[in-house]
Amino acid sequence: TTLQSLQIKSLCRTPSDLPWLLCSLQLPQGDLDVLFSNIDDIVKVNSRFLHGLQETASREEDQVQLIGNLFLEFQEELEQVYKVYCASYDQALLLVDTYRKEPELQREIQGIIEAVVPQAGSSGLSFLLVIPLQRITKYPLLLQKILENTLPDASAYPVLQRATHALQDVNANINEYKRRKEVASKYTKVEQLTLRERLARINTHTLSKKTTRLSQLLKQEAGLVPRTEDKEFDDLEERFHWVSLCVKETKNNVAAYLDNLEAFLHFRPQECDLDVGGGPVVQYCSLTRDLQLQAFPEFKRRLEGLVWQPLCSLAKTLAGPQNLIKKRLDKLLDFERVEEKLLEVGSVSYEEEVARHTYQALNSMLVAELPQFNQLAMQWLRQILCTFVALQRDLAKQVLQRAEGSLAQLPHHHIPELAFRKLVEDALGQTSHQLHSFQKNFEKVLPPPTIQPLLPGAERQVQALLSRYGPGKLYQVTSNISGAGTLDLTLPRGQVVALLQNKDTKGNSSRWLVDTGGHRGYVPAGKLELYRVVPRDKELRGQAGPHEDSRHLTPEPTPVPVSSVPTMTQVVAVYPFLARSSHEVSLQAGQPVTVLEAQDKKGNPEWSLVEVDGQRGYVPSSFLARAPSPAPWGWSLPS
Amino acid sequence: MECEVERDFEREYGKLQQLEEQTKRLQKDMKKSTDADLAMSKSAVKISLDLLSNPLCEQDQDFLNMVTALDTAMKRMDAFNQEKVNQIQKTVIEPLKKFGSVFPSLNMAVKRREQALQDYRRLQAKVEKYEEKEKTGPVLAKLHQAREELRPVRDDFEAKNKQLLDEMPRFYNSRLDYFQPSFESLIRAQVVYYSEMHKIFGDLTQQLDQPGHPDEQREQENEAKLSELRALSIVADD
Repeated sequence: TTLQSLQIKSLCRTPSDLPWLLCSLQLPQGDLDVLFSNIDDIVKVNSRFLHGLQETASREEDQVQLIGNLFLEFQEELEQVYKVYCASYDQALLLVDTYRKEPELQREIQGIIEAVVPQAGSSGLSFLLVIPLQRITKYPLLLQKILENTLPDASAYPVLQRATHALQDVNANINEYKRRKEVASKYTKVEQLTLRERLARINTHTLSKKTTRLSQLLKQEAGLVPRTEDKEFDDLEERFHWVSLCVKETKNNVAAYLDNLEAFLHFRPQECDLDVGGGPVVQYCSLTRDLQLQAFPEFKRRLEGLVWQPLCSLAKTLAGPQNLIKKRLDKLLDFERVEEKLLEVGSVSYEEEVARHTYQALNSMLVAELPQFNQLAMQWLRQILCTFVALQRDLAKQVLQRAEGSLAQLPHHHIPELAFRKLVEDALGQTSHQLHSFQKNFEKVLPPPTIQPLLPGAERQVQALLSRYGPGKLYQVTSNISGAGTLDLTLPRGQVVALLQNKDTKGNSSRWLVDTGGHRGYVPAGKLELYRVVPRDKELRGQAGPHEDSRHLTPEPTPVPVSSVPTMTQVVAVYPFLARSSHEVSLQAGQPVTVLEAQDKKGNPEWSLVEVDGQRGYVPSSFLARAPSPAPWGWSLPS
Repeated sequence: MECEVERDFEREYGKLQQLEEQTKRLQKDMKKSTDADLAMSKSAVKISLDLLSNPLCEQDQDFLNMVTALDTAMKRMDAFNQEKVNQIQKTVIEPLKKFGSVFPSLNMAVKRREQALQDYRRLQAKVEKYEEKEKTGPVLAKLHQAREELRPVRDDFEAKNKQLLDEMPRFYNSRLDYFQPSFESLIRAQVVYYSEMHKIFGDLTQQLDQPGHPDEQREQENEAKLSELRALSIVADD
């Protein structure tokens, strides 16, 4: 029992100094994580364990049994907590080595150690770091010792025995875990090598490895060599493959969804300004603006954080198992070769042994952990999908909350949806008609006038023609016509004539027979344009000037019986006229003439007898214009 | 007097030019927005569709149930979305197009008025030129002729001007009658859609047994799952 108590005492020493060291060392957090790993967790577990041990000290008879029970109780926790530390211990050692290479840093570390943990003496960091390792490996040894000092028939014996085995298992498991981690870390890293780097790696060794594998694979494909069928593994791999597919597709689809969401938020129809004071237009614009400011960005943010990011992380974890599966296959081919060789030759080289073991390690690791992986991945995926659904519901809720206010203010909010849709359809139909009429109106805005200015004094003539032939037959002369032949007319620009025939006797359609109201003759068709009759009042307004003047210029109380054109008035020739006979007299444009008679011998008002330049003769009345104002020309005017 | 008339005209036409621009822009944005909306809905459907076609569904009943429920919900939402977009197309985008189609006619009419104005100004200047000259016979004749030419052109311009000054404000004001029903319809269509969305996804959330966790809790759950996965040796340390 003294031996026992000795062992127990040594059990009670816990490495609780390390955390203090943690705080004192001025090292980057990443380094501290590597060095000390999960020492906090170890300390927690150990302190509870210690507490339990101390309690057993009071119960002398049952102490051994209680200790045994305690170990069994803590077995799982000890394994979990120490395996992590042990697995990262090698990396910690590497880090300590790098520190050693920097003398100043090394001195600093040493100084702190001596200050904080005096009992460590002049030993370095590595000494302190190895303590937890030593502890856990010591447990089974200590227990073994206690067991040896216990009588086999003692009540505590079986418990103790179980505890001893348990701690041995713990150590074995920790070792296995460590080994797996080593193998895994060698092969799970997805290395981003450039082509150059990849080429540089190829040497005879790797080439021979690869060619051997390839030949093995080909032999299998050709059926020359049996393939190691491992149904269990194949099923696992297949399931893993589907899980990967699930995760990757979902990730891509969510990415597409987010892209579309961003595009949707990019367009802002609510920013239009239709210059509408209120009503549904304004309601819509403010509603959409608010939603785009709050509800949608929040939705997007939550999607990115709670759906997209986790999917990315999940997708990343696929890389490790993927690589290992690939490597396993490679190693399997090696393994099969080695097995063959073993059968043929009976022994294998050291390297080949290693290859064999690597394959076995990979295989057992995958077989053990793939099911867990698949399950965890699917659970997580399910969680993510549920979150996606919840976010959609939350978005809808937010939108509705905001929209309620706008909805209540709409003019027809009390009308059910179907009835409303009918209402809108009708309204739009009506306004569509209205729009159509607007369009027609705008198209109708008068095209340019084809009407030519009317010659003075001609409106009576036009009226006469109009009443005789109708408006459709009236044409206006577009430029002066000088008749050549006897049947051809000479007409000034602006004269209105009536169409009698649109061709001559020979059938020439470019020569039309027209009636001027006094004469009939032929004129070139190209100089005629359809005449649009101007409304009377405009005509009157237009003729106001000369009429006023005529009133002004006819002071005679007794009205002239024949015409309204006063005799002996100042008149000007507006257009040139070439006399064709001795009865006629030639005119120059702008020449003042004296009108002697406003009609010819037959009483035809189309001709006027004038005196010009001392000569008398007939000229077409339409070629004359009255002076717009009684200008002081020095001619005598009627008083 | 002419300047004042011009100012009035410019003001009225200016308002309509603005409206034309805004209407065009609105139509374009509305169309692009609804296109993106449709694309979003389609990509949501694809999520559940791809899941449904994964062989895991055959092996795992729970998974199949979840994915089926998700797929049903997504497809229903897509149908509602399509209906919403159709309604928007009919009551907003089409009417906007129709409204915009009046503007070319208006712009042509304004151009014709402008042309008439130019002719009017030109002939007016001609008349004024002759009026300032010494009143000789030829000048008088030319003056008379110029006045005769001017008259119908001025009348034409005034007719066009009056017609447009009458019609333009009426057309501008018609926008109120025109747009309000469209936008009321737009708001209602969205409310209908989001009501369905709330119901469908609310039901689905309950069905999938997912309590309403706050975001921090969800984040923690995600972290936890990631840690669990990373604890496996086959998962690479990142």
